[in-house]
Amino acid sequence: MVAVSHTRRADLAPAPAPAARSARRRARKYLWSYLYLTPMLVLLLAFIVYPIVASLGYTLYQWNGIGDPSTFVGLGNFRQIIHDSIFWRSLGHTFVYAAIVVPVQLVLALALALVLNNRRLRFASFYRTLFFLPVVTSAAVIGVVIQLLVSNFGDSINTILMDLHLTHSHIDWLGDPHFALGIVIAVGIWHTFGYNLVYFLAGLQTIPEELYEAARLDGAGRIAIFRRITIPMLRAVGVVILVLAIIGTFQIFDLVQVLTSGGPYFSTEVVNTYIYHLAFGGTNASAVQPDVGLASAASFFFGLLLIVFSVVQVVVLRTLVRRRAAGRERQGGQS
Amino acid sequence: MSSPTFSRRSLLRAAGMGAAAATLGGAGLSACSSSSSSSGDGITVNYWDSFVSQAPWVDNEIKLFEKANPKIKIKKTTQVSDQYPNLVSLAFRSANAPDMFQLPKSPPLTQQVTQNWLTPLDKWATDSWKSRYPQNSFIEGNNEFNGKIYSAPFAGPAPSLQLYVHNGVFKNAGLTNPDGSVAVPKTWDDVSRAAATIKAKSGGKVYGFGFGNSANTTLAWWLDLFVRGAGSPGGAASAGIDSMDSRVGKWTYASDRNYADFIALLLQWKKNGYIYPNSMSISDEQARAYFERGQFGMTVGGVWNQPEWTEHKFTDYSLMTLPSPTGTPQALFYGPPGGYLFAISSKAKHPDETFAWFDWLGGVESGKRYVESGQGLSIYPDANDTKNITSKPFAQYVAMAGTAVYGPQPTIRNPDVAKLTLGTVKPDINDVLAGVYTGQIKNVASSLSDLEGRRNTALSDAIKKANGSGAKVSQADFVFPDFDPLKPYTTKPAS
Amino acid sequence: MTAIAVQQSAGRRNRYRSRRRVVSLATHFALLIGGLAWLYPLFWALGSSLKSDDQFFSSGLNPLPSHFMWSNYLQAWQEASFGRYFLNTLLITLGTVLVTLVVTSMAGYVLARTQFPGKKLCLGLVSATLFLPHGYTIIPIFDLMQRVHLLDSLWSVIIVQASSGVVFGTFLFMGYFMAIDRELEDAAQVDGAGFNQTFWRIMLPLSGPMVATVGLFTAITAWNSFFLPLVFTLGRPELRTLAVGMYAFIGENSTDWTLLCAGTVITLAPIIVLFLFLQRFFVNGLAGAVKQ
Repeated sequence: MVAVSHTRRADLAPAPAPAARSARRRARKYLWSYLYLTPMLVLLLAFIVYPIVASLGYTLYQWNGIGDPSTFVGLGNFRQIIHDSIFWRSLGHTFVYAAIVVPVQLVLALALALVLNNRRLRFASFYRTLFFLPVVTSAAVIGVVIQLLVSNFGDSINTILMDLHLTHSHIDWLGDPHFALGIVIAVGIWHTFGYNLVYFLAGLQTIPEELYEAARLDGAGRIAIFRRITIPMLRAVGVVILVLAIIGTFQIFDLVQVLTSGGPYFSTEVVNTYIYHLAFGGTNASAVQPDVGLASAASFFFGLLLIVFSVVQVVVLRTLVRRRAAGRERQGGQS
Repeated sequence: MSSPTFSRRSLLRAAGMGAAAATLGGAGLSACSSSSSSSGDGITVNYWDSFVSQAPWVDNEIKLFEKANPKIKIKKTTQVSDQYPNLVSLAFRSANAPDMFQLPKSPPLTQQVTQNWLTPLDKWATDSWKSRYPQNSFIEGNNEFNGKIYSAPFAGPAPSLQLYVHNGVFKNAGLTNPDGSVAVPKTWDDVSRAAATIKAKSGGKVYGFGFGNSANTTLAWWLDLFVRGAGSPGGAASAGIDSMDSRVGKWTYASDRNYADFIALLLQWKKNGYIYPNSMSISDEQARAYFERGQFGMTVGGVWNQPEWTEHKFTDYSLMTLPSPTGTPQALFYGPPGGYLFAISSKAKHPDETFAWFDWLGGVESGKRYVESGQGLSIYPDANDTKNITSKPFAQYVAMAGTAVYGPQPTIRNPDVAKLTLGTVKPDINDVLAGVYTGQIKNVASSLSDLEGRRNTALSDAIKKANGSGAKVSQADFVFPDFDPLKPYTTKPAS
Repeated sequence: MTAIAVQQSAGRRNRYRSRRRVVSLATHFALLIGGLAWLYPLFWALGSSLKSDDQFFSSGLNPLPSHFMWSNYLQAWQEASFGRYFLNTLLITLGTVLVTLVVTSMAGYVLARTQFPGKKLCLGLVSATLFLPHGYTIIPIFDLMQRVHLLDSLWSVIIVQASSGVVFGTFLFMGYFMAIDRELEDAAQVDGAGFNQTFWRIMLPLSGPMVATVGLFTAITAWNSFFLPLVFTLGRPELRTLAVGMYAFIGENSTDWTLLCAGTVITLAPIIVLFLFLQRFFVNGLAGAVKQ
C-alpha cells in the first residue's frame, strides 16, 4: 500500500538527458537495475513464492507428510475446514486478538513515544531500551517464564480478590476459558510493544522541531499542537505501523502455542495453532496422525480470507482518504 | 538432568572443541555432508534418539560398548524431542538418515517399512539370538512385516499410569495406618475421602489433587487410570485402536457408564475445592515440582515422574495403580506382545557394526542397567530384579508389573489391520475432558456419545478405504467376545 | 523598586523552574518504575538462573536468589554444548545479516531511485508476498536445498533465514533511499560516477542508520531462530545453534528450569548488547525510512 504511493511519487520525477547518449545510458541503467534486483527476486521466488505454490498441491490430498502424497481427496479438505466449527472459532479468536492488541498497543506506544520524544528528557534512550527489550526475547522463553509467573502471581492476586470478596473461588488464569485469551492478549501486547514504540519514535523524529516552535509562538497549547501538528504529520507513518501491526497479529502463533497451545478446549485456539495441530498431530504425548493436506488447506483458506479482508481494508481506507482530501479541498476553496 | 556423569561432560567438551574447529574451517563451504563414516581405521555408527532423562544411561552404554569394541565408534545425536518424528522423516528425505535410531511415534511402523526406511534384521536374528527374548516377542504386524523382523522389544509390560501419594502430606493429614505407615487409598471413595481430609486438616492450604494439563493430556490420564479400575478395558487413550473395548470391538465412552461416573466424580472434586486450582494452566513438569513440595497430596502420572524426584532426593512418596470402586480392579493395562524401540536404517553404511550396537543396547546387561537407573522395566525378566533397585518407589513400580498383561491384538488375527489409516478425530477425549472440566461443555452425556460415534465412524471409514485398496479387513476383526479383562489374552492368527 | 522587580521575576523563574523539576522528576519516576515493572518477567528469569532447583519453586515471585548459584551457568554452558553452538549461531547471524543487507539495500535502492520496465509488477509481487499464507512449506524448501546440495551447511540456514526477511528489509531501504536528497546522486553522476559507484560509494554509506536498523531486526530473528537451523543441519548436529542447544534441558517428560533460565540469559546477552550499541542509529534509521 505504502509502496504504491511511493512509486507514484517516483514516477513523477523526470530523468532529463540528451537523446542518443541517454538512450544508451538508460539501457545500461535498466541492466543495472535488473542486476540489483535479481538477488532479492531470486530469494523471494525460490524460498517464499515457490514453496507456497508447491504446497498448494498438498491441499488436494490426505497425507501425513511422509513420502509423496497419494490419497487424492479433491476439495474435500476445504469442505472439511469450512464445516469445522473449531476453525471458525479459532478465526474468531484471531480477530479478537488483533482487534484488542492492535489498538491498545498502538495507543500505548504512541503515548510513550510522545513522552520519550521530549528533547529535554534525559536518559530517554535508556527508557527506550527498557521498553524495547521484551522484543528481543524469543516466544519460547516467554512462554516458560509467563506460565511459571502466572501460577505464582495468580495465587497472590487471587488471595487479594478473594479477600475483597470479588470472587469466591480461585481463578486458574491460563486454564480458565474466561481469562486465558485475555492473558494471552496481555502478554502479546507486552511482547511486541517495543517495535511499535520505536516506529512511532522514528515517526516523531521526522517532524521538524520548527513546526512545534512556530506553533508554540502562536500560543498553541499542548493539545492543540498534538491535534494540529503531531497527528497529521504522523498519518503516513501511522498507516505503515497499523498495517504491520495487523499483519503481525493475524499471524500470531508461537506465543499461544507456548502459553496454552490453544486450550483449554480451544478457548485460545487461533488459526495458526489450529493449522499447526493439524499438520503436526497433537502433542508428543497424544500421537494423533498429522494431516499435512488438511493443514495446508486450512492455511490457504485462511490466506484467502486475509487477502479478501485486506482488499476490503484498502478500499475502505482509500475512500476515506479520498473523501477527506476532497473535504479539505472544498475547505481550502472556501477560505 | 542436572548431574551428568563426569564422562558425559568430558565427552561433550572434547566433541565440542573438535566441532568448533571443523565449523571454522569449513563453515558452509563443505556443502555436501562430509559423513564421518570412518575415523582412522575404526568405523563410526551414527545413532539417533530423543532421550533427555535417559541420556546418562545411553552415554554409559556407549562408553562400555566402545571399550568392548575398540574398532567401532558411536556418534550419538539427541534430537529435539517434540520435533523427533519430523526430523526422522526429513532425514530419510535426504541423505542424512542415521545408521541406527530410536523409532519415532509417527508414522506407524508399517509405513516406515513400506517407505523402505528400515533394514530387516533376519540376517542376524537367528533362532538362538531370538531365544534370549521371552516367547512370542516377534509378531507379524507389530515388529515383523511380511515375515521379516525389523525391531525387537525393549521395555517390559508395565502399568503405564499410577496414582502417586505424597507421604508427608498424608501424614500431616493423619492419613496413616495403625502401624504409622501411610494409608494409601485403594477405592474411588478412599481417594475422595483422603482429598477431603487433606483439605480440612491443612485449613485449605494443601490440596488433595493436582496435575498439569497445559499440554492437554493429563486429564485423560486420570480418566484412563480410574475407569480401568472400574472395569473399562479401553481406558482413555486419545488415538490408536488399542483404546477400544475389545470385547465389543468399539469405543464405549457413552455406553459404558464408568466414563460418565468418573467425570462426575472429577467435577465433584473440583466443586469441593480438592483440586489444586492452577492445574489447567501449569505443565506436567511444573505439577511434578509442586507435588514434590507438598502442595497437593495425590497426582496421576507414569514412571517418568520418578527419575527427576530421585535426582532431587525426594523419595518420600508411595504409589498404587488402578484405584477401583470396590478395591479390586476390574480391568488391567494391556500391551501388545512384541514391541519395538530401535531399528537399523536401510541407509546404514556398516550394517554389521550397527547391528553390534543394536544388539548391545537391546541386550540383557544394558537392560539391567536401564532398570537400575530407574527409567522403566526391561523386556528381560532377569533384568527386572528388585534386588538391584535402591529406590523404594521404583521397587513399588516394579512390583506392580503384574497389572499389565498382553491384550487382544487384531493385527495378529488379521495382519491386514495394520494397513488401516485412522483419520484424525477432533475434538478428542483430551479436548472433551478439558471442555467439561472448565465448564464449556455442559452436557457430558451427549458429548461422550458424540465422541464415541465419531471414533467408531472413523474406524468404519478407514476399513472401507482400506478394503477399497485391496486389503481385507472387517469390523469383526476387532471383536474378541472371549476376552476376560482380568486375564492375559493370547490372540490366535485366523486360519 | 528595580531590585524588587528583579527579585520577583527571579522568584517566578524559580517557581517555574521548581515546578518543571517536579514534573520532570515525576516523569522520571514513572518511567523508571514502569520500565522496571515492564521488565519484571525478564528480571525474574535472570534471578531464577541463579537459584537452586529447590528455591526456584519455593521463592514464588521473588526474583532474588538467596545464594547465587553461579555454577548453573557453567553447567548450562557445558550441557547445552553452548561453546560449540555459540560460534555457529554467530556465523549464521552474521551471514544472514550480511546477505540480507546486501540484497535488500540493492533492491531497495533500485526500487526507490530508478525507472525500468516491470517495476510495478515487481513491487506488486513483493507487496503481495506480505499477505500470502505461509502454509506447510518446509518440505518444498527442504527438497530444493537438497537438490542444490546445500543441506547440512550453514549456508542453507543463512539463505533461507535471509529470504524470510527480504521483503521487509527491501521496503525499509526503499523508504530510506527515497528520503535522501537527489542532488547528491546527481552531483556524483556529473562527476562521472557510474551506477555502481554511486550506490556503493555515495548512497550506501549515507544509509548507515538504515543498515543498522535492518541489521538489528535481522540479527534478532536470526539469533533466536530455532526450526530452520535444526532442520537444515540434520546430518551434522555439530552445526546446531544455541536455540537448539537449549533443548538439552527440555526432555519429553522433564525440564531443568534453572539451567533453562541460565541458558536463556546466555543466549539473550549478546543480542541485548548489540541492541545497546546500535539503538542510537536504529531510531534514526527508521526515522529516515518513514520520512516522506
